[in-house]
Amino acid sequence: MSKPAKAGDAARGGLPFEEALKKLEGVVEAMEADDLPLETLLARYEEGARLVKICQEKLAEAEVKIQQLEKTAAGELKLKPLDLAGE
Amino acid sequence: MSKPAKSQWDFGELFPPAETRRVLSVWELTADIKRLLEKQVGSVWVGGEITNLRAQSSGHVYFTLKDAAAQLGCVLFRGTAAAQRSLLADGQKVLLQGDVTVYEARGQYQLIVREVELQGVGALQIAFEKLKQKLAAEGLFAPERKRPLPEFPQRIGLVTSPTGAAIRDVLHVVQRRNAGLEIILAPCRVQGDGAAKEIAAAIRTLNEFSVAAVYDRRFSTESDTRRSQTAATNQLDLILVTRGGGSLEDLWAFNEEPVARAIFESAVPVVSAVGHEIDFTIADFVADVRAATPSAAAEIITEGVFASREFVSEAPALLHRAARRGFDSASESFSQLGGRLARLHPRRKLNDSLQRLDDLQSGLLRGLKTAARSRNLVLENLAGRFLRAKPTLSLKARRETLRQLEKRLNALGPEQVLARGYSITTDTASGKVLRDAAKVSAGQALTTRLAKGEIFSRIDK
Repeated sequence: MSKPAKAGDAARGGLPFEEALKKLEGVVEAMEADDLPLETLLARYEEGARLVKICQEKLAEAEVKIQQLEKTAAGELKLKPLDLAGE
Repeated sequence: MSKPAKSQWDFGELFPPAETRRVLSVWELTADIKRLLEKQVGSVWVGGEITNLRAQSSGHVYFTLKDAAAQLGCVLFRGTAAAQRSLLADGQKVLLQGDVTVYEARGQYQLIVREVELQGVGALQIAFEKLKQKLAAEGLFAPERKRPLPEFPQRIGLVTSPTGAAIRDVLHVVQRRNAGLEIILAPCRVQGDGAAKEIAAAIRTLNEFSVAAVYDRRFSTESDTRRSQTAATNQLDLILVTRGGGSLEDLWAFNEEPVARAIFESAVPVVSAVGHEIDFTIADFVADVRAATPSAAAEIITEGVFASREFVSEAPALLHRAARRGFDSASESFSQLGGRLARLHPRRKLNDSLQRLDDLQSGLLRGLKTAARSRNLVLENLAGRFLRAKPTLSLKARRETLRQLEKRLNALGPEQVLARGYSITTDTASGKVLRDAAKVSAGQALTTRLAKGEIFSRIDK
């Protein structure tokens, strides 16, 4: 089973945002260019609508996560949550 | 020191014996002081303002360094670098490095200057220019090594103070734009002594963190999926090195070589945003992208997501319009097809043929008229020629021709043959010429023509 580069995204909901966005741009471009057969146009429209939904979902779930990276005396890297709300 | 007094009149030894004194010559004392000074004070850095600057023809430069409370004689000997000498001027605030010693001939202590640095803004500017030139010569600012930033960064390293204005500005923009970033903060001081080293270390630590993901993947014993997820989690898309506005001294750490080197060596693209629009630091020059302020940096980083959000919100309308247009043009071509189909209908074909017939007919009529008109022309032409011809000449010639023809006709006629004695016999009843005796029967009436006259006879047998 082949895994895309952004496995985290793929695991969360199929297409990674970047890919969905690129595809959506492609669909809009293709539809705006002339002379698509009607069935193709319809199929593209449906695909576009699906991609819009994926992109909107991805954008909606966007939240800022901040962590602090520290290096211990032993040279180990450690992440700990950083709460800036109190400051 | 004193012995117990014998009486109030005992003044002790008012004048101790001469042999107990140690009398130094001036030279010896001065030499002692010099030794002491050189040993105890020796090499120092000292800051103050230059006054009474005297450049001697010998090439040595003498001056006094003073501050509000004290002054110090200084000398810069001829052998010292010219660059250092050029910094000396009355009123100039300088940092001097040198050895404190004593000039025995005058009994004055003084500083033999080895190095001169300008103090304050002047010094910083000169240091800035020097480092800038040096790093430019090494190619640290080369435009061809600038890397593009990923369009949709998901995980970024942040090098700044956790308590500064910069981190708040950055987070504010990222949150306002709803960009969904994962930020790994490598905290460090951004001003003061040692800040440059902390900034450089933070950049390196983030690089280590980002690269560590690759090692994790290589050495992990877990499943493939798990490994690539680890990689995806740790890989940094870019590092933002930033601090808010401040004085030149406040921003100074970002003009120091360790920071420049760390940015240069970073495997992860670096965005530098230090101070305000007008502040350019060495870090800005080395970084892949320079942003004017921390907020501007956050905007650059989130531009892809921001723009895509706009596009995604417009996309349904775009799709709808494109589809609408497609359907419109399809229905237009449909009605065009209808038109073409109607033209192909048999009745249409018949009509076409009838029309063609009409066309042909009128064409024919037109042709006939034209032809008649041209015949008339020919006729008129001939009549004209006929009238122009001489009728008398023509009549005589025709008479002659007639006579000739008559002669030739006579030659072909039966008269000549009859004149030579032949005769022509015909059946009297039918008038047909007889050529075969077997075709006559008895009692038949015959007429025989001779050269002169005819004989009527009847067949006996």
